[in-house]
Amino acid sequence: MTHVSETPKQRASLGRQVLPYAMLTPAVLVTLAIVFFPMLQTAWMSLHEYVLFRPNDFTWVGLDNFKAALNDEVFWISLKHTIVWMCTTIPAQLLLGLVTALLLNQDFPWRPVARALIIIPWALPSVVIALMWVWIYDSNYGIANEFLLRMGLIQQAIPWLADPDTALASIILTLTWQGFPFFAVMILAGLQSIPQSYYEAASIDGASAWRQFWHITLPGISGVMMTAVLLRMIWVANSFDVIFVMTGGGPGYATHTLPLYAFIKARTNLDFGYGSAIAVLFTLLLMVVVVFYLKRTGKAVS
Amino acid sequence: MTFKTLTGIASTLALCAGMASADSTVRFWYHFDNADNPMDALVAAFEEANPGITVEAENIPWNSYYDQLYTAVIGGNAPDAAMVKMFAQPRLVEMGALQPIDDWLASWDGADGLQDNLIELTKGPDGKQYYLPVQYVVLYLYYRPDMFEELGLSVPTTCEEFRETAKALTRDTDGDGQTDVYGFGFRGAKGGHDHWATFTLGAEGVSLTEGLTSEAGVAGTQFVADLFQQDGVFPPSAPNDGFQEIIGAFKAGKTAMTIHHIGSANGMVEALGDNVSAAPVPECGGGHWTAFGDESTAVLSSAEDPEAAWKWITFLSSEGNNTMFNEATGQLPVVKADSESWTLHPQRFVQATVDSLPFAEMLPNSSATADFVNTAWPTNMQRVLTGDIEPAEMNAKIEELFAE
Repeated sequence: MTHVSETPKQRASLGRQVLPYAMLTPAVLVTLAIVFFPMLQTAWMSLHEYVLFRPNDFTWVGLDNFKAALNDEVFWISLKHTIVWMCTTIPAQLLLGLVTALLLNQDFPWRPVARALIIIPWALPSVVIALMWVWIYDSNYGIANEFLLRMGLIQQAIPWLADPDTALASIILTLTWQGFPFFAVMILAGLQSIPQSYYEAASIDGASAWRQFWHITLPGISGVMMTAVLLRMIWVANSFDVIFVMTGGGPGYATHTLPLYAFIKARTNLDFGYGSAIAVLFTLLLMVVVVFYLKRTGKAVS
Repeated sequence: MTFKTLTGIASTLALCAGMASADSTVRFWYHFDNADNPMDALVAAFEEANPGITVEAENIPWNSYYDQLYTAVIGGNAPDAAMVKMFAQPRLVEMGALQPIDDWLASWDGADGLQDNLIELTKGPDGKQYYLPVQYVVLYLYYRPDMFEELGLSVPTTCEEFRETAKALTRDTDGDGQTDVYGFGFRGAKGGHDHWATFTLGAEGVSLTEGLTSEAGVAGTQFVADLFQQDGVFPPSAPNDGFQEIIGAFKAGKTAMTIHHIGSANGMVEALGDNVSAAPVPECGGGHWTAFGDESTAVLSSAEDPEAAWKWITFLSSEGNNTMFNEATGQLPVVKADSESWTLHPQRFVQATVDSLPFAEMLPNSSATADFVNTAWPTNMQRVLTGDIEPAEMNAKIEELFAE
């Protein structure tokens, strides 16, 4: 009898051990196939001279592509723009998202409608956003120039996207507008998880609104903010669709970022070896930033 | 016979019928800007005349046409036939992506009906024929006769006259201190190399493959830079302006001259009526240069049924069909008979095209041409226009590209 009663138990315990692996396997296999395999392939291609229109020419060149990239003026221009792009877009999105979330957390009529509307920029496809902003910035018919001219803030229409001094900033503004709802929604969720009783206790103790924000709200949403910044950092760093549609990286190299440069080299010039080397270099740089960020903010949050 | 057996027989018959009607399929890629795309009508006419062949025609957006074509060839998913331009031929031949058509061409009746010399002009870099011409254009100068008349100007025939005319046309028409009309709509984005080439490659001894860094070669690029930076005769958005922008600005009266071809003539007339005309581009540096805008079709070497693909492309370059095709693209037919009965464009634009033909040229038959068109020219031109580099540096980079 004992023999019979033990078998299902053993089976159940074996099942408990195997089940998680069995359920995870499909997801892991898919990730391996569509993420890790292309990653390895990219790393492998970066060590070869591989120009697509010479399909039979796949020559091992070792680190030559990397050396060429480090000696390439455009690589450094693109890296500089990538740093400017990330260091301004993400804080701007975070700040705007935080203010929006705080406003949306207040009680006011039509609050659900406002919450739904705020998500629109995030929900629109990048290409639509890019084309829309190209028109806004247009130097002949764009609403941005029209508005500024009528307000008397500028004397001449400014070619926002055709002037190297304003092109990158204009695209950063577009991307800030596109990405801030993500922060707003994430932070709003974090705000709603803070118990109301904390605020009540603080106000009984005489804490000002600013003190309440600094000592209750900010610690309460710091975990969410950290995750949101990490996710955005990776997304913003890798996104080039808006730039590609708005300026194609121009005028000249004024809006080239590293992912865009890798894309142009690989897809337009068909130089997959060199394009892959730039992509690998950028991945390594991004990994350093992400690890550093996680170490610093992880400590702060805990 | 039971009901089951009957249904079985009926299904088998239906299946056979289905198979018989789709013996072979030709996947065809093309690019049309025109929304009134007559491709369905052409496909239907072809399928009726050639039972057993189905054509799947796909309109690919122009901006990424060649990116998509090259990657499809490499990825093993290339179409069976495609619309192609000369600048892409050396690269496609190098990739082994094209099927030679010499044998078919020799036995095709329609070959004699094509415009003289077109087959010769579209020969491959290895002497074989891969391309079958389907339409052509020649770039010329669009101008606003009403504005010229108002200011007492005549159409410029040399670069010097062009510069003075453009300066005179650039003006503030309503007195608000803003420039309302610019002399020339320059295309600084991809595809604008033809504008630059008109001002640069006309000079004696200057071409993309030689003499570009000579004094005369650099003077051409300097001329373009001066027009923008010193004279301010291009709209400020010129470094980023593409096809849509230059045509849109001309139609809206923001520019008084630009360079394009007959493909945009009907749209221009629709917007401006008699206030638009055309003339050959000015002579610069002692010589004329304008672009011969070619378009052909080709059978790809990976085609499942090359014979069927060949039938389809010859259909497009045959009398009558070629007219229908060009009515959609607004370009000119390659079939002599169709040209003779051509009434689609007002005569003044056809005349400007014909007058420009004697000095129209194509880009070099080199693998570097695709990079020149897609990245090297636009990036370096934009850098010159925005003062990032000197004209001599731009010309040196282009010369280096073609020397590789």
